[in-house]
Amino acid sequence: MALRIANLLGPRLLNEPLVALTVSRSHDQFVRHRHTKHWNPKWKTLRRQKVMRVKLPNFQEKPEDLSEEEIRSRLKEQGILPPRPWNEKPFFLSCTGGIFEAYVPPEGDGKISPIQVQGAKQKLQYLEKKSRTMMAIRKIKSFEEEFDTATFCKEAEDIYVKMHDLMAKRDLENMTDYVTERAYPEVIHNIENKTIHWKLIKNIELPRVVHARCTDVITKENIFGQTTVRFHTQQMLAVYDRFGRLMHGSEIIAKDVLEYVVFEKHLANLYGKWRVHGKIIPDWLPPKEPSLITYLKPTEETSTTETAVTKTSPDTEQEIPKESNT
Amino acid sequence: MTLFRSRPLLKLVLQYQPAALLPAATKIHTSALLQAWKPEDHEPQKFLEYNKKIYPPQSPDEAPRPAFVCHQRSNIKYSPWKMWYIACLVRGMTVDEAIKQLKFVLMKGAKDVRETIEEARDLAVKEHNVEFASNLWVAESFVGKGHVVKGIRRHGRARFGRVEYFHCHYFVRLEEGKPPKHYYQHHPKEPHQQLEDWLQQMRKRKITNSI
Repeated sequence: MALRIANLLGPRLLNEPLVALTVSRSHDQFVRHRHTKHWNPKWKTLRRQKVMRVKLPNFQEKPEDLSEEEIRSRLKEQGILPPRPWNEKPFFLSCTGGIFEAYVPPEGDGKISPIQVQGAKQKLQYLEKKSRTMMAIRKIKSFEEEFDTATFCKEAEDIYVKMHDLMAKRDLENMTDYVTERAYPEVIHNIENKTIHWKLIKNIELPRVVHARCTDVITKENIFGQTTVRFHTQQMLAVYDRFGRLMHGSEIIAKDVLEYVVFEKHLANLYGKWRVHGKIIPDWLPPKEPSLITYLKPTEETSTTETAVTKTSPDTEQEIPKESNT
Repeated sequence: MTLFRSRPLLKLVLQYQPAALLPAATKIHTSALLQAWKPEDHEPQKFLEYNKKIYPPQSPDEAPRPAFVCHQRSNIKYSPWKMWYIACLVRGMTVDEAIKQLKFVLMKGAKDVRETIEEARDLAVKEHNVEFASNLWVAESFVGKGHVVKGIRRHGRARFGRVEYFHCHYFVRLEEGKPPKHYYQHHPKEPHQQLEDWLQQMRKRKITNSI
């Protein structure tokens, strides 16, 4: 077409600027020519029979995405029997699933100075006044003769420090010596692709056993002991990402940390050890410091549906003006 | 059985314990042996090893190291030689620009390349501490040959030809920051740089047989 135009216009092309006459190529794709169809359909079947049909495996599909029926049909095609499921699996309960009769920390703990009346009262809350805790400690002593709260506090601190050191080093093999299986996923969560520097600087208050309970699992003799230890410490935490950039915390600023850590031991087991089982996080503790990075807030779909419900229901509408008056 | 002194023998035994009994024996690297018995259709793994490297923490006065993420998609049903053109198109572009351009490339492989780059961008934000998803550019983009399935076809006069069904692997590395002005080393120089080079050449000249 361009050639025809050029022929018609002829010598005028030599004088006028070519810019005005260039054929714009933006509409090339609007007229597309197919190269996969032979002009004579008469010999189509023979042409098709020339090439041997090969079934290509689909590399992009994953075994997780296939449904059971699909897997079954594929095994049938191959002539393979499905793998026999062996439901007998030996497992050993080395820790309980949670924290039994959790300790409820008194509000304002760690903030009030011991000089004031309330602080002094808190300090005087001796362990002897808590009968159930004392009974549990007596039960622990029946298994462990030399159990003493004072020495146990020191041991607990060592275990606590060791757990954090292993977490910082990402030493997952030896972690189960200091952490129970219930707390293990919580401890190792989100430590990949990072360098963690953690240090316990000092104890603001000495660690103290505040709570103890014993429970039996399945049989009456199979007893687990749980103790809650209160740590009020000064700690340093600096988290660097994969590239060595500071992600969270700081190397030089120390933070005061008040924690109630639950330790558990399988008392009925000769080789049981006191290990970190969990942490009690009361509601009145200040929220965690946010990281230095900005991120997209996750879309809250549930909240939009809730507001729709409250708008339609007449009861809540009546309540709202009442609240605004008070 | 003849009697012999047991104590020096015991010492010898304790000194030279068999390696299999030592705790370090459990960590013998056996993957080479295992791979020898497996079929060869496993995916390429060396490129993704770069994602596992953890760099030491930097001091506050150092310039921050730009984050990067390596991602790949294996065994895409497309010819590696045709895919090379798409990989070359994307090099040195910002991630948004690359995805925008790939949407309008009329080639089968462009879809896979776009999906790979989008996945890599999401991985960077999720796992590699990249703050802004748009602050990434394509640092490396290349193709490797994947699985090849062979078939046959008949030609005229009962001649036979081989039909090869190619797959390719697409590798991409996204880096944080602004892309460089010129991706390749051999780029046309700026006018002031050209002038400086010319001046240097002129000054290097020697008049033969001069002092």
